Amino acid sequence: MNPGHLCSTLLLTASLALLSGACSKEAPPPASGAAQTPQSITVWWFQWAPADGLQELGREFQKETGIEVKVEQIPLGSYQEKVFLEFGAARTRFDVLIGDSQWIGRGATKKLYVELTDWLPTVVDLKTIHPRAAKYLCEYPEGSGKWFAAPCETDAVGLAYRKDWFEDPAEKQAFQAKYGRALEVPKSWEDFQQVAEFFQRPDTKRYGCSLPSDRSYDGLTMGVQNLLWAFGGRWHAEKSNKVVGELDTPGSVAGIEFYKKLLKLGPNGAERMDYGQVLESFTNGSTAMILNYFAFFPGIQKQYGDKVGFAVVPAHDGKRVASLGGQGMSISTRIPPAQQELSKRFIAWFMQRKVQEQWITKPAGFTANADILKSAAFRAQTPYNGPFAESVDSMQDFWNVPVFNELLTVTQRYVGMAVDGEMPTAEALKQLAIEKERILKDAGLL
Amino acid sequence: MSTTTDVRRHRGGSTIAWSLVGPTLLLLIAFNVFPLIYNIALSFTNRELVGEDSRFVGTTNYTRVFSDPLFAGALRRTALFVVCAVGAELMLGFALALALVREFRLKRAVLAVVLVPMMLSPAVMGLYWALILNGNYGVVNQILGSIGLPQPQWLTDRDLKFWSIVVVDVWMWTPFMALIALAGLSAIPPHLYEAAEIDRASRWRVFMRITLPMTAPLLGLAVLLRATDALKQFDLVMATAGPNDAATQTLSTLLYQTVFRDGKIGLGAAFACVVLVLVIALATVFTRYLDHLRRARET
Amino acid sequence: MRAVRWLVIVAGLLFAALPLVWMGLSSIKHRGDTISQHLRWMPAMEAPADPASSSFEATSDSYRDLATVHAGAQHSFWHHLWNSVVIGVLSTIASVALGTLCAYGFSRFRVPGEKDWLFFILSTRFMPPLAVVVPVLMMYRALDLQGTHLGLALLYTVFNLSLAVWLMKGFLDEIPRAYEEAAVVDGYSRFGAFIRIVLPEARTGIAVTAVFCLISAWNEYGFAMTLNSSGAVTVPAYFAGLQGNIEGMPWPQIAAGALIFVTPIVVFTVLVRSHLLRGVTFGTVKQ
Repeated sequence: MNPGHLCSTLLLTASLALLSGACSKEAPPPASGAAQTPQSITVWWFQWAPADGLQELGREFQKETGIEVKVEQIPLGSYQEKVFLEFGAARTRFDVLIGDSQWIGRGATKKLYVELTDWLPTVVDLKTIHPRAAKYLCEYPEGSGKWFAAPCETDAVGLAYRKDWFEDPAEKQAFQAKYGRALEVPKSWEDFQQVAEFFQRPDTKRYGCSLPSDRSYDGLTMGVQNLLWAFGGRWHAEKSNKVVGELDTPGSVAGIEFYKKLLKLGPNGAERMDYGQVLESFTNGSTAMILNYFAFFPGIQKQYGDKVGFAVVPAHDGKRVASLGGQGMSISTRIPPAQQELSKRFIAWFMQRKVQEQWITKPAGFTANADILKSAAFRAQTPYNGPFAESVDSMQDFWNVPVFNELLTVTQRYVGMAVDGEMPTAEALKQLAIEKERILKDAGLL
Repeated sequence: MSTTTDVRRHRGGSTIAWSLVGPTLLLLIAFNVFPLIYNIALSFTNRELVGEDSRFVGTTNYTRVFSDPLFAGALRRTALFVVCAVGAELMLGFALALALVREFRLKRAVLAVVLVPMMLSPAVMGLYWALILNGNYGVVNQILGSIGLPQPQWLTDRDLKFWSIVVVDVWMWTPFMALIALAGLSAIPPHLYEAAEIDRASRWRVFMRITLPMTAPLLGLAVLLRATDALKQFDLVMATAGPNDAATQTLSTLLYQTVFRDGKIGLGAAFACVVLVLVIALATVFTRYLDHLRRARET
Repeated sequence: MRAVRWLVIVAGLLFAALPLVWMGLSSIKHRGDTISQHLRWMPAMEAPADPASSSFEATSDSYRDLATVHAGAQHSFWHHLWNSVVIGVLSTIASVALGTLCAYGFSRFRVPGEKDWLFFILSTRFMPPLAVVVPVLMMYRALDLQGTHLGLALLYTVFNLSLAVWLMKGFLDEIPRAYEEAAVVDGYSRFGAFIRIVLPEARTGIAVTAVFCLISAWNEYGFAMTLNSSGAVTVPAYFAGLQGNIEGMPWPQIAAGALIFVTPIVVFTVLVRSHLLRGVTFGTVKQ
């Protein structure tokens, strides 16, 4: 028998064994892994400053109750894969998951997250939770009143700028001379473009702006949608998942076209920057303005002190929408009931007003508590709290249906092609809309 | 190259023989044939990464695979990658081997340095190349900028990023080609060159008539080894562009995206089955070539 | 012609070595200097006053930081390096042991369908990890091997068997049978002859095979990242996992860690340099 025959024999054997393979039952799930030491819960979040703050709060909780809280931080780039691989196992390594807002559909429909609808109102007055945080971070479907998470980190995209450059008299004068108006923090996207253009000086290694534009996860989409909405576009119809005729509209096209122009006013490589790289271009002192999540701003503030300022994202024709970030806290269904009870105790403790007031003292501990957000004390606490509180009122999210990942993939792909000039924007959106409806139909959501 | 000593075999003793080779064969079957079968079974279901509910969906996944522009794109891109990367490695490696074939002082030291990249971890080095090629603060662009040249966006320009990955692959694997080409060149009997000198053959003629034909079998082997490896390209793409970038997605990264990001195990299995058929075809070519080489050597 | 030859040699040297040199430089920088807009290549004792300077303050911070565990994270770099060592060594021992036995069987005994089996063994090397990872993942879930040292070591053992068998068969074929026959005449059992005569004769082959198995286990990424994403994480998966780190990549630590990670490989490469060719061609080409 020659190797060729061997290979074909293998294939033949394989196809013969297909029947038995397909009919055989899955092995029963193994007994749950090593038992947790009693009285401790494990929380998973991605690696960033707010997670450090949560760990500090966890120690307070331990002092009060004796239950240890371990916050494990996983780099964002691989967070999603790791979480969903865990859910494939019989028992997840985490008890509480602080999952991205967009995962909630999958978590709810695949029964990965414990439903909290009946329990949550017994520990917190739901009316104190900001309605937009409730809608996007906690409920599935949006606004259905079915809760699968308690709000943990509320976040939105905001604007950080080099205050020292904006206040430099020489710059102010030059700007006035060039554009016939004062140099100030941009209120509209058109202003933003002008200021970025003004600061774009590659010869002296100074650049106008950096925006999230990464293609590997959700960067580009989270950046672009601020403009897409502001320019009158939308991802899908208000009350349904219909996409064709909703997404491929002049508003969406205008928003993306504008974003494309802004990407040219950045440092080298501005066409593909993830959140970290956007941040780097600002912290290495080369860029005047960045769009990024408020949760990063405490770090910037620490580095630059009063040389940096913060603002809400600009508007277009008075319409301002901030891309939502942030995560809710969910309890894994793949843990023993005793662990679920401990997790509930922690969440109940965390949702108390007095703990939320502690939470906001941690770096980027952004609460969803509407009363705290409204309070003057909160807004005055840091330079970024005010703009943040204001952004919460106008924030919106991408999809959070179970097939959000595939929707995100095609969105990143087609918007990427539009931004890269590989395809006319209108054409890209038209194809994207068709792709999305196909995915939604396959998933039975349309 | 030495010829294998022809050893006489023990006759009988097949129990001993099987107990020696058995464990290895069983392990290989368990980890290769079983997954193959399981993959085929999965490819007819709509199984997902999470959740237990899956059902038989017939050939839906295969219909999707063959109509999916992503799969066609990844296939085309992988083929392009194999041809370009392996081609460049072959030419550069051969040139390097020609330069290194004659003896000189420090030859061993030079050889050791030149050969290092192919032994390193592609995942780690790819990550590091992403820093070197970073458009904003990478050292390549800093040098280009400081001598007044334009600074291309190696990893972000949609026309460039694919080629940047090819360059990193060439960095890693040119030494491999050089190593094998060097072996081929060193094995050419000097009397052939001497004869050519007497005939006053031109350099080009000597190269085409002696050097190339004499090294060709080994180069063929090297090309096949590299091609089967490049076909799996995953690590470098993940390190520099991520799994989901339309301009750089290869078959392996598409599989990763489908299974681990989108959670579509059934569809992923269908992709994998099609890929495996391709790989098996290539492996067959490879083993036949090896067999052919061996027989040629024995006669 | 001479000039061209040297040009090619020097270009080859620089192309191979410069990225590694730059890695060394990056590892003694502060993070700010690795993401600076200016080319910084001259280490200096103090931070230069001019921000556009080409020198940077040399520091060993990054090496020290390798030991610190990020607040809330579980492990430092050293822990992941330890995982790589455990998995690499376990799988190397297993694949060399199994591979040697198997190769001995093929070398000295008549095995029906020998050639087909050998080519089957070789063909397993061509499996793209990503194409078989799903069934393996399911299997590992059922056996509770996901995220364990044992699971990945087992997988690498299997993956390296093809190399081990082919390499060892080449080496064993070179050992004259007469040695064993003489030993058997002297009263050794066949097993005794294998242990006392064949193995010592094959020690170079075993060492070379071990080095190649270790290197391929050490460098593997596809299985490591998908199967051991959160337990027994090896260095390549750990570093790659830092991608998309929300506060930016810790480049100096990555450079320092990568340098430490590749050092043993460079040492081994130099040690087995005269057998490199044999190793990378599965023993089919000998020098």
